[in-house]
Amino acid sequence: MFDGVFLLGQGIGHFMTPASLFNVAWATLLGIVIGILPGLTATMGVALLVTLTYKMAPDQAILTLMCVYLGAIYGGSRTAILLNIPGTPANAAAALDGHPLARQGRAGLAMGLATTSSSLGTLVGVFFLAIIAPFLAEAALKFGSYEFFWLALFGVLISGQMTGSDTPLKGYIAGILGLLVAMVGMETLHAHQRFTFGIPALGGGIDLIPAMVGAFGLAEILSAMKRNGVAHVAAVNDRVVPSFGEIFRYWRTILRSGLIGTFVGIIPGVGEDVGSWTSYAAAKRASKNPEEFGKGSQEGLIAAETGDNAVVSAAMIPTLTLALPGSAAAAVLIAAMYIHGIRPGPMIMVENPTFLYQVVAMLLLATIANLVFGLSLTKLFIQVLQVPRQRLMAVVYVLCVVGSFAITQRMFDVYVMLVFGVVGFLLREMKYPMAPLVLGIVLGDLLDINLRRGLLLTNGDPSPFFTRPISAVICMVIVVTILMSIPAVSRRVRSVVSGQRRRVQT
Amino acid sequence: MALVLVALGVTIFYFSWTMPRLENRHVHPATIPGLVPILLSAALTLCGLLLLWRSTRIAAPGGWSGLGALLGTRAALRVGVILALAFLHTLVLVGWLPFWAAAMAFIFAFIVLFETWLAEEPPNFLSTIAWALGIAVVGGGGISFVFERIFLVRLP
Repeated sequence: MFDGVFLLGQGIGHFMTPASLFNVAWATLLGIVIGILPGLTATMGVALLVTLTYKMAPDQAILTLMCVYLGAIYGGSRTAILLNIPGTPANAAAALDGHPLARQGRAGLAMGLATTSSSLGTLVGVFFLAIIAPFLAEAALKFGSYEFFWLALFGVLISGQMTGSDTPLKGYIAGILGLLVAMVGMETLHAHQRFTFGIPALGGGIDLIPAMVGAFGLAEILSAMKRNGVAHVAAVNDRVVPSFGEIFRYWRTILRSGLIGTFVGIIPGVGEDVGSWTSYAAAKRASKNPEEFGKGSQEGLIAAETGDNAVVSAAMIPTLTLALPGSAAAAVLIAAMYIHGIRPGPMIMVENPTFLYQVVAMLLLATIANLVFGLSLTKLFIQVLQVPRQRLMAVVYVLCVVGSFAITQRMFDVYVMLVFGVVGFLLREMKYPMAPLVLGIVLGDLLDINLRRGLLLTNGDPSPFFTRPISAVICMVIVVTILMSIPAVSRRVRSVVSGQRRRVQT
Repeated sequence: MALVLVALGVTIFYFSWTMPRLENRHVHPATIPGLVPILLSAALTLCGLLLLWRSTRIAAPGGWSGLGALLGTRAALRVGVILALAFLHTLVLVGWLPFWAAAMAFIFAFIVLFETWLAEEPPNFLSTIAWALGIAVVGGGGISFVFERIFLVRLP
């Protein structure tokens, strides 16, 4: 317990240098600007910035990326409030009440509430990160190939189910496609090249960063530029800094949304948008004034923004302790950690115990920077919103090329970016989610190697996959997840549950 | 789309099934390199078939119909222009010109096309050219300078 507090103090002290604080300031500001600009997402921002942090010290690089990530998720709320366009998908729920508030002439209040609740959401997530992560890492030391195989499969499946917009089937398909992409190249158990078709560049597999830059960068550019349109920014005439009372009277909503966001963040690959919508729905159900939701409810805005920002911090729990990304942006962070020689996973508390608390410190510093910039730079952010899209996207494409080239300095990676950009755009147009695809690419190797290693250990006997206690539990959760995604089964379960409830009430 | 997925699944299944099983290295049949691709391609085929069955029962939002509708619109033209510029820049200009020059040319062409030919409002040519030139020099030159000189990253 006291070791943890000591390490946290050390982590915060570690970043109390002018260079670190400078990195926090510019990276958070850049993150907010990325979030504000419609079409630029947090994942895209983090993926592009990996290149820029390539030559930095590992702790400074991850600090920078974390600040961009947190800043972008927060920054998107500005666009949602002032333009009624979510800056990032995570801010879609915030637009429902944020924009009506702006139309009522209370844009300043809406931005102040969004800023404060975002920060409080992050703090709730950070609290649980500091508490849960060390225990989970310790527990994960007991995990073997069998458990890691199921965890990888669970991550892809749950991500597919939660993010598939019209049917979980499309989410599952995106996940399987991602896993298949990860099968390309040299497999590590027998050093055999799969699906390389004699192309030497495919021997090393498809790198995550160029694939992400394509799927989230070029595909975003195509989606954003598809439509022509001029942004109409709502006027800001009232004060931005909310009073203590305006925040405090929604403490229950903040706590509930923070806990929901934390829970969603811990589930691999689900991401901020699910955290935001789930918190919003829960707040509406628990509210005394549910009829105000969607018409400018302060409670709704607070719930949405607390929920999505709590996910950012909580997503670091599986990311750091199990190397299972809690969101798409966290997947890029895992790639960045490997580039900088940091190995996330169960061994992190053994090999690098200070790093976990450094991440906590990074999130705290980014939260403070978000709060300061968010409450003080309103006019600057409104000007950013008015930049015509075509002037920005042209520069972003050049960054996509640089971002995919710079890590391994191969033109092949730029071609990978182009292919993933076009395929990603087509899949988006057909309502296939991108998060499971990315998660599949990240978790493919983990799934493959642990299934075959487990079978090797038992000489081909698959029974430990089903009989070891933790494996059996995760396997059952997977079966229930798949069964519940079948409409007929979920309808039947719901009718049985409501029947039981009625019987209990009578 | 369902048919494409089924075809893709069957093709990958074939390549996985015919992948060397490394018997000469005494590799256990349960750990062959093609095992996971076989399982994944089977799952993809199954999902494709389920999607096909679903699309015969309910009209799916999105899908090829949605994509087909997009192809006949001005949005398709805008996407096509971006892709043409992107391919021209990446496959032709990069390597043939210095990176900063290729980047400037791309940015300039992108802005000019979208603010004149593809704009909805009447274009102001002089202002567009001035802005495009300024952003191309600052953006293209700036990116090259920052990455190459400050962050010491080699550019294509």
